[in-house]
Amino acid sequence: MKQLRTRFRLLTLVVIALLLVAGLYGVYSVTIYGSRWFSNSRNTRYQSAKRTVIAGDILDRNGVVMATTDSDGERVYQSSIKARRASVHLIGDREGNVANGVDSFQANYLLGFETSLSERVAALLRGETRRGDDVTLTADSKLNTHIVNAFESGVNTKGKSGAAVVMNYRTGEVLALVSLPVFDPQNLTESDRNNAQHPFWNRALQSTLAPGSTFKIITAASAFENLSDIATHQFTCTGATKVLDQTIHDYRMAQHGNLTLERAFTVSCNNAFAQCALILEDAALRKTAESFGFNDNFLFRDLVVENSVYPTTNRNLVEVAWSGAGQSQIGATPLHMCMVAAAIANNGVMMEPRLLLQVKGPGGVVRMRFTSKEYRRAVSTDIAATLQTFMKNVVASGTGTAARVNGLTIAGKTGSAEAAVDGQAVTHAWFVGYIESSKLPYACAVLVESGDSGGSVAAPLAASIFKYLLDTYGK
Amino acid sequence: MSRRDHASTPSRRRPDRRLVSAMMLFFFSAFLLLALKGELRWQGFALAFAVPLLIYIATMWLPRFFPADKLLLAIANFLCALGVLVLYTTDLDGGTSRGLQQAVYYSVGIAVMLFCILLVRYVRNWRFLIKLVMLGAAGLMVLPLAIGTEQNGATNWIQISGTSLQPSELVKLALLLILSYYMSRRKFWTWMLFAVFCLGVLMLQKDLGTALIYYITALFMFYANTGNLPLTGLGVLGGVGAALVGYDRFAHVKKRVAIWINPWLYYETHGYQIAQVLMAIASGGIFGVGLGLGAPRVIPVYFTDCIFAVICEQFGIAFGILVLVMYGILILRGTSIATGARSSFLALLAMGATVMLGIQTFVIIGGVLKLIPLTGVTMPFVSYGGTSLVSCMGLIGFLQGVASINQDDLEYDYEISHSLGEAAALPHADGL
Repeated sequence: MKQLRTRFRLLTLVVIALLLVAGLYGVYSVTIYGSRWFSNSRNTRYQSAKRTVIAGDILDRNGVVMATTDSDGERVYQSSIKARRASVHLIGDREGNVANGVDSFQANYLLGFETSLSERVAALLRGETRRGDDVTLTADSKLNTHIVNAFESGVNTKGKSGAAVVMNYRTGEVLALVSLPVFDPQNLTESDRNNAQHPFWNRALQSTLAPGSTFKIITAASAFENLSDIATHQFTCTGATKVLDQTIHDYRMAQHGNLTLERAFTVSCNNAFAQCALILEDAALRKTAESFGFNDNFLFRDLVVENSVYPTTNRNLVEVAWSGAGQSQIGATPLHMCMVAAAIANNGVMMEPRLLLQVKGPGGVVRMRFTSKEYRRAVSTDIAATLQTFMKNVVASGTGTAARVNGLTIAGKTGSAEAAVDGQAVTHAWFVGYIESSKLPYACAVLVESGDSGGSVAAPLAASIFKYLLDTYGK
Repeated sequence: MSRRDHASTPSRRRPDRRLVSAMMLFFFSAFLLLALKGELRWQGFALAFAVPLLIYIATMWLPRFFPADKLLLAIANFLCALGVLVLYTTDLDGGTSRGLQQAVYYSVGIAVMLFCILLVRYVRNWRFLIKLVMLGAAGLMVLPLAIGTEQNGATNWIQISGTSLQPSELVKLALLLILSYYMSRRKFWTWMLFAVFCLGVLMLQKDLGTALIYYITALFMFYANTGNLPLTGLGVLGGVGAALVGYDRFAHVKKRVAIWINPWLYYETHGYQIAQVLMAIASGGIFGVGLGLGAPRVIPVYFTDCIFAVICEQFGIAFGILVLVMYGILILRGTSIATGARSSFLALLAMGATVMLGIQTFVIIGGVLKLIPLTGVTMPFVSYGGTSLVSCMGLIGFLQGVASINQDDLEYDYEISHSLGEAAALPHADGL
């Protein structure tokens, strides 16, 4: 009987442990995923709450009202059609076609789910319809409009799909988040719905594409982390490095001859970076990519971002070689590539991207104020400093000269990523970069799908963004 | 011995009047609030009085007739009443009257609990009775195969004059009696054959959730009884093997696992239920949207499998955790009763009932919280359904029956030691 009792206690321990795990898991998942589950566009609860609660306003960082509720309870966006089109992916639309816009993802604030009991009772006693909280964003509505105008009127970008992200690399505040094509959130048309370019899709956060040569920032970081003599190592670019039965070629079949990693970065030489990746080997390069956030489950507080991928399977040498130039199944979103450039600018520390500045109750009382948070250290301060020089070279004398702006020191990296769309080979144009300035600590990423050369198509858009930032915040 | 003397023995659990009063007040005011909300509802008024009355009868009045574990009783009744309350809130704008029906089942459950207490307390010779129980259970088990109806992919229901019945729930009680009786008498093959028979029938009915609970309970009891780790390990491996075969052979098992990994991918089809569950839990947040609020009816089978999500939506995850803690206390009390039993039959019976409740709680709450794939079992005491509630109250009856015998034994010891002590104190006591 004594042994029986001991075993009883053991079994009880097992059952209690199971219940404990269930409870802890429940608390964990509600804390981490709760707002994602709640703000799901399929949740009918906040649609029914919309009938009883007046949704709060959404303001940009300068106080511009980006969304409000009219007397009929309808959601109204900015009166200028250009402005409301430009911010449609950031805010959302009336029908909920855009996933996880502020209108839906922050519905718990906007529809007053965070309102305290006493406030609810007070509203009930006064016989008023309950009003949700007002949300102030870190975004600059005018900057969004400026980017969309530049994109839609550019000779090389008109009619194309793409995305742009601007963030403060010291704080992680997102100033602009644009996905193209855009549409009018108040007057949806049949052509929006049937558009083959899928305008409802938020490319800045949801589209993981090969980052192409912008990934060379990470390859170079990995080289400095793992190879002691890399600064003086001479690569040879014949324009055709043989790996197994294939050849690594360069953009427009260029040949760069003998060159160092620094030079290879400036002219964006695929051959040198392919050789570099082969010396590093897959595991080391993957490790660096992961320290930049690849393969991580992005659970940012304010943004729902598709995870970036660096393949974890065993890969052949051709795939490893191409990885050095950001090809072969590597995928990242424009927001994440902006974070990569921002991390270099911020001396190796990657900040969590954030979109909320504060939440105000209907009475004007500030209910919540949000602070910046470090996401992870991507790379050491020393290597970040080296890469800053590399990136400045790119804009000063390399492939990114089109990003130059008078009166600013710009650093960046271009990318021309090869991809297959519907069986056809296309080249996506990328540019990631930042302004070196303590007054204007901004980084940006620009993507033009099927845009061809990053240096001549994406970089000029970045220049126009930097110019706007200088004119608006540089005084 | 008078009742007063009962109460004076050292380990006697005093009835906690304050706890029960708080429970009664809680449910009285909750039902009253719902009855007064918007329009007047006679059902709410009726329940506001009926439910506290049932709680009083089960926790304060019944234990006058035999020693009981009051805390266990209080928690089981709280959970039953909570089930009635939550079901009633889902009735408010739906035109159903599950709350009222559940209250009726609850009173039947109290009667069954009493029956089980009496059964354990007063039946001394099980030799003949256990064979009768086995025969009856086997008959009940195959009944759905003959005249059953299919619900949610499993054929485990029978219809008798308009009311549907789930025999596998009632067989749970018989299974525990049979397992503990034959295990305590070391008749390996008898209980083994019966368990295999039950599992086989459950497989045929495709009622995998219940099969899982039967299997784990039998395995745990076997381990407790023999301490035979190699064979228990083999049993665990066999279970895992069966699960893998099941995954390979049954399409609906494969589906459940895929949904569990990412319900949102299958939102339009099979993932709908768990996605709705997660949205409901998330809407509740920490402290819930409030009694009678929220949108429970959008969740498929909100009244049985997913009732925990409805609780979390209305009362918040904080309260959900408290409910889990209550089950935890229930299990600890059950273990304490099992370890206090003097015969291995009673000890195994109490432990089996405890493990069964614990595992069933884990399977359903873990499923709702997406820790494990969701299987269609009921949440003990709370889920809507007569047979489920009745069988759970039957399990509590077993536990209370064993507890009452333990108490008698303790009192007997006390008396003996007292008379011994008195005898020793007497100078001329003969033969002592």
